[in-house]
Amino acid sequence: MRRMLKSPWPEAIIMILVVVLTYTALATIGVVVEAPEGGMATGVVVGWLFGFFILSLVIALLGVLGGIGGGVMFTPVMLAFTPVDSLIIRGTGLIVAMFSGLISTGPFMRSGLSNMRVSVFLCCAFAIGAFSGAQGAILVAEHMGDTGEGLVRMTLGVILFCLALYFIFGGKKIEWPQIDKSDKLTEVLKLRQPFYEPSLNKIVDYGLHRSAWAFLAIIGVGLLSGFFGLGAGWAIVPAQNLVMGVPLKVAAANSGVLLGMGDCIAVWPYIMMGAIIPIFAAPWLVGQVLGGLLGAIVLIRVKAGFVRYLLIGFMLFSCWGLVTRGLAGLGVIQPVPHWLTGIIFVAIFSWVIFNVVKMLRETD
Amino acid sequence: MSEDRPIMPKAQTYYGECVYYLTVVACLVCIVGPLIAMINPENNVMNPYFTFAAIFQGHTADEVWTLVAGGFPGGHFWYDNFFTGDGFTQFGLALGCTSAAYALIVAAVAYAVERIYLYTFFSLFVAAMIFFAASGVVSL
Repeated sequence: MRRMLKSPWPEAIIMILVVVLTYTALATIGVVVEAPEGGMATGVVVGWLFGFFILSLVIALLGVLGGIGGGVMFTPVMLAFTPVDSLIIRGTGLIVAMFSGLISTGPFMRSGLSNMRVSVFLCCAFAIGAFSGAQGAILVAEHMGDTGEGLVRMTLGVILFCLALYFIFGGKKIEWPQIDKSDKLTEVLKLRQPFYEPSLNKIVDYGLHRSAWAFLAIIGVGLLSGFFGLGAGWAIVPAQNLVMGVPLKVAAANSGVLLGMGDCIAVWPYIMMGAIIPIFAAPWLVGQVLGGLLGAIVLIRVKAGFVRYLLIGFMLFSCWGLVTRGLAGLGVIQPVPHWLTGIIFVAIFSWVIFNVVKMLRETD
Repeated sequence: MSEDRPIMPKAQTYYGECVYYLTVVACLVCIVGPLIAMINPENNVMNPYFTFAAIFQGHTADEVWTLVAGGFPGGHFWYDNFFTGDGFTQFGLALGCTSAAYALIVAAVAYAVERIYLYTFFSLFVAAMIFFAASGVVSL
């Protein structure tokens, strides 16, 4: 019982109560209140609000299980398969990416797993890149019209395909990099911060190097994140781990902190030009915060590697939708018939099911 | 073992706590905001009954605002519309999207007290970037 009085339980319980009360009230409104003339039916509006919240919650929970950020799921799927304007999606995508990072900041900082100095130093780079990327996105939308929309979808499709390959084949990561010699700048920055690692039952004091190169790499990552409205944990983690020598666990924790901090900058150009519509973005935000909290409380110890295949399947399918819609938007091809998209869907998810079954058998 | 665990720097824990609780408050505001908007749909900048239809028709952000609200009133429209559903929701979004800046100021003070001036500067630089972006000074 005493445990329930400690963070994150009280705030999680309050949020769940408020969510239940609010959606009960909304459901009642949906049944009782009539829509104004020419407007959407009340039940449909309430349905959208509830649907967005549930989808966001599921994305956040799957993200915790599969170790893949919410933004990288939300933006491509919405861009590929909904008629919603790309700037609205990318702005809301940043909300999805940043709020899962913001809510994880507290526990990471408390436990010492995240390194504030590394986070704030790299955030200076991320800030420059992300702000420029977001401004670039608005510039492209305002001056390139449909061609810009087509190019954005196609480029994102290609990036997503490379990313899916990266997730499939794992990429090179070093859990505990050995740094024998640091460089002068890294020494001056005093980035080292020992932390207690429960799995090793000891204090880990890690060395770092090449902070200038990591700074440059993170500017590029920020550009991508701001422009496409993606969370960029998939790039921030290897940039820290492989370039600077940050231990993998610390790099993953820093990535959440950095995204929360850095996307606070990238998101504002979208807000200031009206691309974030409050009633559309709010349920996505709530789902991410609540999903992130519940995921951290309940699911963090659940080993569910198979979810990763499911998420990769969604990424590959979104990639198909993005590239074909992008090419159609550019007038290179005719819009793809639904039956062909259906075949691709069946093919991709047959591969997913095959791998999940294989994995579960190996686990047994 | 626990006595040997390194003590986390104050700036780090203050930053984490500030961001965490501001995010929780922003989230609570964003839960309640849409309900207020639906209880009194006329008392909104954008009537929710028309907003979703306009979004799903594929209109650009600018067109959505023009169609439903007669034009975009600016990113900080919540100042003048705090007691409306979407104004209150926008306040929640704005609070969450600047939470890191307030927390970084607290972290900067903690760094300054400990005389770690380099990180005081870094923290203030990022906080300033957030406020700069939120001010809309650079708009295209």
